[in-house]
Order: sequence, then C-alpha cells, then structure tokens
Amino acid sequence: MPPDGSYGPTSTDPSVTRSSLPSARRRGSMRRLRAITRKEFIQLVRDRRTLALMIGMPLVLLLIFGYGVRLSVDNIGVELVGHDSPAVRAVLSEHQHFRVAPAVAPTLTAARRDLFNGSEAVAVVVDALGRPVRVLIDGSNAFVAQNSLEYLRTLMSSGTSAPVEILYNPTLRSADFMVPAEVGMIMLWVGTVATAIGVVREREQGTLEQLMMTPIGKLELMVGKILPYSVLTLLIAVMITVLGLVLFRVPMRGNPIELFLFAIPYLVAALSIGLLISTVAQNQRQAMQTATFILLPQVLLSGALFPLSAIPWGIRWVSQMLPLTYFTPISRGMFLKGLGFAQLWPEVSVLCAMALVFTVLAALLFKTRLD
Amino acid sequence: MDVVAARGLVKSFALQPALRGVNLAVPSGELCGVVGADGAGKTTLLRCVAGLYRPDAGTVAPGRAGRADVGFCPQGFHLYPDLTVDENVDFFGAAYGLDVATRAARRDELLDFAGLVGHRARLAGHLSGGMQQKLTLVCSVLHRPSILLLDEPTTGVDPLSRRQFWRLIEELHVAGTTILLASSYFDEVERCEHVVFLHEGRVLSDGGVDELTERGASLEDAFRASLSGVGT
Repeated sequence: MPPDGSYGPTSTDPSVTRSSLPSARRRGSMRRLRAITRKEFIQLVRDRRTLALMIGMPLVLLLIFGYGVRLSVDNIGVELVGHDSPAVRAVLSEHQHFRVAPAVAPTLTAARRDLFNGSEAVAVVVDALGRPVRVLIDGSNAFVAQNSLEYLRTLMSSGTSAPVEILYNPTLRSADFMVPAEVGMIMLWVGTVATAIGVVREREQGTLEQLMMTPIGKLELMVGKILPYSVLTLLIAVMITVLGLVLFRVPMRGNPIELFLFAIPYLVAALSIGLLISTVAQNQRQAMQTATFILLPQVLLSGALFPLSAIPWGIRWVSQMLPLTYFTPISRGMFLKGLGFAQLWPEVSVLCAMALVFTVLAALLFKTRLD
Repeated sequence: MDVVAARGLVKSFALQPALRGVNLAVPSGELCGVVGADGAGKTTLLRCVAGLYRPDAGTVAPGRAGRADVGFCPQGFHLYPDLTVDENVDFFGAAYGLDVATRAARRDELLDFAGLVGHRARLAGHLSGGMQQKLTLVCSVLHRPSILLLDEPTTGVDPLSRRQFWRLIEELHVAGTTILLASSYFDEVERCEHVVFLHEGRVLSDGGVDELTERGASLEDAFRASLSGVGT
C-alpha cells in the first residue's frame, strides 16, 4: 500500500486549493503544455528515421536545386550547315550556352538527320558569304528549344541592340533563384508533413484517446504538438539559408533576422495546414498522401519554380490562396534585393491573415472526442 | 448514490446502432462488470460513460463534464511505446496537471504497487503484454479518479499477469474506487458485485452474481438463458 494508505479517490489535488483556483489552472495549463512539448521532443529525437528524413530531405533538395537543376540550358549542340563561318562560330561560342560542332553539315538534309538523331539540337544554315540565313531547332524538348531560341535572338542581335544590364542576379545563376525559394518550400514541407504525421500517429496508436481523458484542452494539445515542429522547421530553414550562403554563395542583401520574423506567420500557416490534414487523415499513409496532394500544387503554382505570369488566369486564383505564393517574393526579395518590411508588408499581411484563418479552421475541426 | 448512470442511452455509427437504449446504474464504490460477446456495445458504452462519445439519445454520467473524476483504461496498449515507463507515467501525471513532487510520489507508489519498479527505464514498447496493461492502469489512476473504467483489460494477457492485474483491481476497489469493467470472460465478471449482460446494444439483464445465476448453473448459462428469453 502507498504511504498515504490509499490508491482510491481523493476529492482534492494537494497542489490545488480552492482559493488559488485561477492561478492553479494557469499553472496546470503550463505544466500540460510543457509536458506535451517535452514528450514530442523526446519522440522526435528517438524517431531517427523520421528525423533523418526531415533533415536529410532538405539537404538533398538543396544539393539537387543548387547543383543539379539549372533553369538555364548550357552546352546545347549546334552545327553549321552548308558553309563554315568563323564569325558565326565566334558569336555562338562566345557563351557557354552552345557547343559548336567542328564539322559542317554539307546539306540541309544531313542537318535534319542530325537533329532527328538527337546528335545536335540546333542547326544554323550559313550562306556562301558566311551569313546565317536559317536556323533549325529540335522542338521535341520545348525547354531546350525555348532557351536556344532566346539565346540565338540575343546573340544575333547583340551588335545592334542597346546595352542590357541585369540587376540583382547579373549572371542569372540558378542557385540565386532557387535557394531562396527552397527555404519556403522546405519550411512548408517539413512543417506540414511533420505536424500532420505527429497528430495522426497519436490517433493511430490510440494515445489520442488517452489524452482526451486528461484535462488537456484543445489549444494546449495543438500548441504542444506544433511547438517542437516549429523549432525543427525553423532550424532547418536556418540550415538551408546558411548552406545556401556558404555552398552556393547566394547573396543575403536583406536582414536575415527580419526574414525569419516574416517567416513566422508563414510557418504558423504551414503547421495549421498540417493540423487540418490531421483532422481528415485516419492514418500516417493517408496523411502523407493528403500532404502531397496539398503541397504539390503549392510548389507548382506559387511562383517558386515557374513565374506566376505563366500560370493561366483560370487557375491563378488557386495560386492566390497558397502561402508559398506570398513567402517566395519575401524570401527572394530579401536574399537578392535586400527588401524590408516597407516593401514586403502586403505579402507579410496576407501571410498573417492566412495563419489566423488556418489556425481558427484547424481549432474548429480538431476533435477532442472520438466520434 | 449512482455515480455511473445511463438512461435510454442510444449511440449509432453510420446508421448502425451500437447501443439501443441502455439503462445502467452503478453506485459509488461498486465493482460492476459488463459482459457480452464482441460487438455487444461494451466499448461504446464505456466510451460514452467516459465522455469520449456523444450519445445520440438518452443521458449518461459522468460523461464529458465529469471526466476529471474518471480513469479510463482502454482495450489494448495505448501508451507511448517510444517513451520509457517513467517517461510515460511522468507525462500522464503532468497531463493530469499534477505538480512535480506529487507526480514523483505517485509514480513511485504506483510503479511499486504494479510491480514495475524494476522496469522504469525500459521503453514501454518493449514490455510484455501484461506489464503494458499494468502500466496503462497506473497511468489511468495517477490522478486518483473516483471512477475507473476498464475495457477488456486482460485480453491477450497471460494467466499469471491476469491474476496480478486482478489483484490491483481489487485493491483499487477496496480503496473505494467505483469500477466499471467490460469483459468477454464470464470468469472475470464473476468477481464483480454487479453484472450486466449486454447483447447487441441492449441490456438483457443485470444484478448480483447470485441473483443472475438463479437462472442457470453458471453465469454463462444465465447469459444464454437471458438470450433465449429475448428470442435471439
């Protein structure tokens, strides 16, 4: 038997007296919040596989986007047709965009065959005076074709057009374009998926049922669950930023502290989306599927990868509802242009509104009963 | 005074009735057993009493409003397998709002009571089935509830652990806790002062073991007799 002689019911908790009920309630609430947060941290650290995924995946994405993915196409195979021309060769070789074949295709038919075989992507027909008179481009890869066309236009008219100055990313480096966007994409992915899985796992294990029997309130449970993931997501965002600056020499012209301040409403929105997913998903597999269903359009339609102007009007309203649409200009603006709140307040305000709406929705839909 | 009570309790899931007008009254300090086959509605009844389900019709007590006085020990293991025994107990103690000193004192008492002191640093997921059930019981009585709901607490537990588990239940009962236990085992509910036969969401009959066994040699016979009485 225990020292006080009973395992049975007690009418009062020794730590709570009637005269101090409000402050005792506050203390109890803080105690519960701390307990949930501590438990989540312990579970997060012990779940090595998920932790490795949460940290490893952003690193892999950073390397892929930083080293692997180039939005500009270089080394496009080009051949001269009919006649050789040192002048045309020199113009084409001036930039790394083209790799000019040493041999000249004798006829247009031969050039067409080379394009058909895929050995070259562009053929420039040169007349007897050494002037380019016609260009054939392999359009089967629209991305390469578009880039080739653009480069050729620039190169062929470079002698006549006005000098061009490209600001903020003068060499048009892909890393400068991608890394700031990646910070937003990673925060969204980690924040949403980790939160959704964290809550759904409680339901799957049946521990949510046990939690519902305790005095833990909806808000305590929600905040306690998302706090550790907020810290994890912010740490990963800092890691991506630092690696972007060090490995890829992406400039940070704005105030990084300000960037992470502006990231808070964005993060809250992402975590609330995770909570919303957890209200509909019954298991972790469903949570992952729902998260993918929600996150993929964000990446494709937010302007992080493709310009918003390229998105047809019919579906642009979807873009307007995505948090990443507003965080991407904040991140790019601060990294590359050194923008601050004075310029970015509209985006920050929309993110604050989104964070509020998603949190209220999540709180309304988050159930503290099983039915 | 009845501390657990249900009047005309109805609960359905996707139009499939689980409880069809259940009446139940458990006085303070009583050990009451609800017995029935799988799908009889035992878990639904306990969850309604615990306030985890909102009844479609009828009334139930203590329900949601009185959950502070209720400890719920669900069927199966539903604690954190990746936390140690100590961490699980400490977490649920904090979840019930107990301060550090109270938590530590009750953790020591209850782990000793349940014979889990030697396993404090083990991950809960690595405990045997019987130990996991005892740990679940410990976590559900940390706040010293006056009412304890046990949903098939010994299912899948070996006979020795089952005996140990019953010793704990009886100690809690002696200490004055009102216990409502759901089980599929007749030999288990025979230990209760008050037995309720539940079948397809309806109470067939209820009363003391002696009272019910007047209709048959054993509790199981009495249950079968009640079944034939309703023409099932």
